Amino acid sequence: MVMASEDEVSLLVIVVDVNPIWWGQQANREPQFTLSKCLDAVMVMGNSHLVMTRNNKLAIIASHCQESHFLYPFKLWKSGDGHGDDNPSTSGDGKYELLSVANDIMAEEIKILMSRTEVKGNQTDTLLAGSLAKALCYIHRVTKELEAGQEIKSRILVIKAADDCALQYMNFMNVIFAAQKQSILIDACVLDSDSGLLQQACDITGGLYLMIPQKIALAQYLLWVFLPDSDQRSQLVLPPPVHVDYRAACFCHRNLIEIGYVCSVCLSIFCNFSPICTTCETAFKIPLPQMVKAKKKKLKPST
Amino acid sequence: MAALSEEVLLVVKRVRQRKQDGTLYLMAERIAWGPEGKDRFTVSHLYADIRQKISPDGKAKIQLQLVLHTGESTNFHFSNESTALRDRDAAKDLLQQLLPKFKKRANKELEEKNRMLQEDPVLFQLYKDLVVSQVISAEEFWANRLSLNNVDHSASNNKQEVGISAAFLADIRPQTDGCNGLRYNLTSDIIESIFRTYPAVKQKYAENVPHNLTEKEFWTRFFQSHYFHRDRISTGLQDIFSECAKQDEKGLRSMVVQGVKNPLVDLLSLEDKTLDEGYGSNSMAPSTSSANKTVKENSNSAIIKRFNHHSAMVLAAGAGKKACLTMKCAGPNWGCASETSSTDGNSRDSDFFQPPVKKVKIQEAIEYEDLHMENGKKTVALNLKKSDRYSHGPVPLLPQQYTTSQDIINSVNCIQQEIANYKPCLTQVMSSSTASSAIAALSPGGLLMQAGSQQAINQMVPSDVQGELKHLYTAAGELLRHFWSCFPVNTPFLEEKVVKMKSNLERFQMTKLRPFQEKIQRQYLSTNLTGHLEDMFQMAYNKFHAWQTRQMLRKT
Repeated sequence: MVMASEDEVSLLVIVVDVNPIWWGQQANREPQFTLSKCLDAVMVMGNSHLVMTRNNKLAIIASHCQESHFLYPFKLWKSGDGHGDDNPSTSGDGKYELLSVANDIMAEEIKILMSRTEVKGNQTDTLLAGSLAKALCYIHRVTKELEAGQEIKSRILVIKAADDCALQYMNFMNVIFAAQKQSILIDACVLDSDSGLLQQACDITGGLYLMIPQKIALAQYLLWVFLPDSDQRSQLVLPPPVHVDYRAACFCHRNLIEIGYVCSVCLSIFCNFSPICTTCETAFKIPLPQMVKAKKKKLKPST
Repeated sequence: MAALSEEVLLVVKRVRQRKQDGTLYLMAERIAWGPEGKDRFTVSHLYADIRQKISPDGKAKIQLQLVLHTGESTNFHFSNESTALRDRDAAKDLLQQLLPKFKKRANKELEEKNRMLQEDPVLFQLYKDLVVSQVISAEEFWANRLSLNNVDHSASNNKQEVGISAAFLADIRPQTDGCNGLRYNLTSDIIESIFRTYPAVKQKYAENVPHNLTEKEFWTRFFQSHYFHRDRISTGLQDIFSECAKQDEKGLRSMVVQGVKNPLVDLLSLEDKTLDEGYGSNSMAPSTSSANKTVKENSNSAIIKRFNHHSAMVLAAGAGKKACLTMKCAGPNWGCASETSSTDGNSRDSDFFQPPVKKVKIQEAIEYEDLHMENGKKTVALNLKKSDRYSHGPVPLLPQQYTTSQDIINSVNCIQQEIANYKPCLTQVMSSSTASSAIAALSPGGLLMQAGSQQAINQMVPSDVQGELKHLYTAAGELLRHFWSCFPVNTPFLEEKVVKMKSNLERFQMTKLRPFQEKIQRQYLSTNLTGHLEDMFQMAYNKFHAWQTRQMLRKT
């Protein structure tokens, strides 16, 4: 294992999809794997990351359908300050204090988050793009607050439950390219159905995409595949990258196409040529090839 | 037989060939001989075919022999008593001028082909695969390529001129020869530099060598003369180079008179003004007449003059022919084609040149391009009618799961209840059996690791096989290109070509592709490396058959 140098900080941001609607339905589908179990697995993952090296940092964001909320670190902390009025509810099992404090905070925050959930019919999609953006901003802030001489390596782990929201496409792509520019890996652990957007994110940023067959073994998958950082991954045998379908869908029928027409003004994709682009109303002309006339002449004498 | 439009350059009467009297004609592109009294030529050779001419001196018979490339030779005997030698020499000189022109033309193409083959190893390999093994003929191979490259060549014909090092004279370091002598090593580069910089020397060389002096003597005198040496005090010795010295003086003076074109450069302020005794309080008018200067000052100024002259001449020679053509150099201003000097004083244009140049120079000095105001180009605003397309992007429509409002309410309540009672229980996250099954799935060969077991194809196939495959692809690509370029078949030439190319393709498949396939089969490589090639050939055959049947139908 490659030993990280003393001054290299490794920051892991876990974005957990806590869509209450999906998890509520999941509680009926599979009672043995509920949101509580998922959160337990995430806590195990977080603790393991903090324990790997003293320089490791952690952040956990809960991605809800109404907001994105930081479960850890606690917002009202100032860097380095102790929390004076924290009741010493450390578990008596002699756990490393940092971990016990972290777990407590996470549990507390998720309770607060869920208790203020309002029922709204039109907001059923997880705000994943927003959570990723928050994660990037957090990473950026931590990078800026580093001491002189310290280097940082960050990655984002997304644990996804609900389906993709197509309306977040643009934001998602922007987040992905911003992460790529900042050399931030995006890993994805998908619980239910494949997500094209996350596949693209992992492919572009160099992270790992995994759809797990057994939800109850989530903790094991997280520890095995997503705990090592990018340097160590090159020396481990991990699941191979997934083949990503980069085909675009045409704007007129939303079918996936391999060859199409692109408007040079607004870059919208169409499967058939039309003289006017329906998005930006630019007129186009394609000159017909002159060959057509010659062929017609040739056929005439023989018939 | 003589083409009427041919230009006859020389006619020599009374030339015998094979003991027959006749007349020798030298035309623009060939040499011909016709017997006396007849109109037709019996002997006619193109200059391009002639390899060499031999004109032996000192024999009783005055002859001219032509040897062709094919090996045969023809003998012409000049039998006119009085003018035979002169005729022969005239013919010989003319041939000497004409033959090199044609020789170059014939070889040029061959050289071109050789050069192309040497420069591009891929082309060379292709040539070997296709032409040497007789799959297609050499003409077809070169048909497309030569035309392409001729265009390139004309562009590269404007070669850059080699400049002259300013230190070329200093580089001729004389070595002591042992006993009081000096050896000067002259290379052809140095000689060329001297000629280009000092055209006067070149003229002297042309005049004297090889009539009066040999080359060695010329250069010996050059180095001995004071012209070459530092202290060029004109001694008045009868030296062939003393004229050069005088010409140089004149040239230098005219350059000084012409001055510098750049109006922002003021050379006069660079004059040597020494504060003489008294620190300037004694205002002694600086005397410029050479009579008052001391001997030391004289020699100093001589050296400085020579330096300046040398530099000016080097620059002038380096400025090249272009500048020379546009200049009207009058009189002894040999090397005046430098940028700094304008045309000679007789031209009226020099006055008109002054103001615009000055303006341009001043503008350059006070303006910076990138500090200018941005004149953006006129742009057209993007006018989107359906902007919601940008929010979802080119993403296919996925089946949306519809949740009823009752579902939503139920789910939220359920979750809220669950989380309100949430207590992390990290010791019971999963059972060992689930953990071990997960590990099994992640181990090599497990459920999730299937795709990784396939090795990349380029790791399984040895590199020499890969190389051969690449060559096959290049060769097949070339043949297929020839084949497909025949369609649509309009002319009888294309018809023939199509048939020929089809047979070429079949031959290639037989001679090259099959052995390769057998070879990789013997090596137990299970990958299908040649499937794509086979597909391409099959498609070509299909097209050919379709075309053939259509031809038959048309005929019947």
